[in-house]
Amino acid sequence: DGVAALPAPQNLSVQSTNMKHVLTWSPVVVPEEIIHYSVEYQGEYESLYMSHIWIPSSWCSPTQGPECDITDDITATVPYSLRVRATLDSLTSAWSTLKHPFNRNSTVLTPPGMEITKDGFHLIIKLEDLGPQFEFFVAYWKREPGAKEHVKMVRRGGIPVHLETMEPGAAHCVKVRTFVKAIRRHSAFSQTECVKVQGETLPL
Amino acid sequence: QEFQFGPCQVEGVVLQELWEAFQAMKDIAQAQDNITSVQLLRKEVLQNVSEAESCYLIHALLEFYLNTVFKNYHDKAVEFRILKSFSTLANNFIVIMSKLQPSQEKEMFSIRESARRRFLLFRRAFKQLDREAAVTKAFGEVDILLTWMENFYQL
Repeated sequence: DGVAALPAPQNLSVQSTNMKHVLTWSPVVVPEEIIHYSVEYQGEYESLYMSHIWIPSSWCSPTQGPECDITDDITATVPYSLRVRATLDSLTSAWSTLKHPFNRNSTVLTPPGMEITKDGFHLIIKLEDLGPQFEFFVAYWKREPGAKEHVKMVRRGGIPVHLETMEPGAAHCVKVRTFVKAIRRHSAFSQTECVKVQGETLPL
Repeated sequence: QEFQFGPCQVEGVVLQELWEAFQAMKDIAQAQDNITSVQLLRKEVLQNVSEAESCYLIHALLEFYLNTVFKNYHDKAVEFRILKSFSTLANNFIVIMSKLQPSQEKEMFSIRESARRRFLLFRRAFKQLDREAAVTKAFGEVDILLTWMENFYQL
C-alpha cells in the first residue's frame, strides 16, 4: 500500500545523575504528524531466564517526547537492556535497542547542596533532599591549627540537623558528600563553608 | 547496609526495596495459595541456622527460586500485572546470588551437608505438591524468606 515504514528511533543513550536515569533518543520526524514512542526494559533476570520478555516502562508506554525517565524501572544494580520504537497511527517502527546495557552503578554523583545556618550558638545544616537512596557524610571542624574533624552520618536530606554548639568568635567549617547504599558509592565533597558565630559566612 | 551470611558478604542490595516490591504483590500472590495446611519454608528449614550454614542455605534457596519458582511464576506475574515488582525482586535476587561465594573447602563439609539437608526438606515439600500449587505457595512465602534474610542484614 506504498506506506513508507516508520524509521526506528536512533541514538539511544542514558543520562544518569544522582540516581535519576533518563533515556533519550533522536526524534522520528514525519511532517505534520505526532509520533508516539514506547519504551521497554529487561533486567539481567529477564535476559538470563526469559529473554523474550520485555517490560513496558512505567511512564513511557506510550510517550510523545524523545526521552523517558526510567528511574522507577531501574530497581536493581544489574545491567538493564532498554529499547524504544515509534508509532504513528497503525504504523509501528522496528525496535531500537540501547547499544550497551545500563547499570545504575554508573550514575554520576554530584556533591550535594547544603544550607548552613546559625541558631544562636548552634550550627545547623540542611541538606538537599535527593531521595531515599541517599545518605550524607558530613564533616565539620573548628578552624584552628590541629583542629579535630568531626563526622556525622545524616540519613535523609531536607530536614535541619544540629551539628554542634559553636564557640563564640571561632570559625566553624563544614563539608559534605553523599553515599548511595544501593551502589556503594559516594560523591566528591562539596565546597567547604565556614561560619562565625557573630560574623557572616566567610569566603575561603 | 549489607547482608552478612556468615563469611559471605553481599553489598548493594537495599532490603527495604525488596520488601516494598514483595508488599506490592503479597495480597494477590498469597490469595492464590489455597493449601493452608502446608508451609514449605517451615521451622525445620529456617530455624537455628548457624552463621556458617547460612551462606550455603541462602545460595541453594535463591538458586531454586530463580531457576524454578520465578521462572514458572512469570506468566502469573504478567496475568496479575505485577511484572514490575516481580522484576525488581528477581533482579535483586540475582545481585545477591552473584555475590555469594560459599566456601567449598573440605573442612566445611559437615556444615554444607547440614544446610543441604535443610534445603532438601524444603524441596521435598515443594515436590509433594502439584507443580502449579507449589510454585504459587513458594512465591507467596517470599515474605518468610525475606524475614529470615533480615536476620543477616546489618544497617
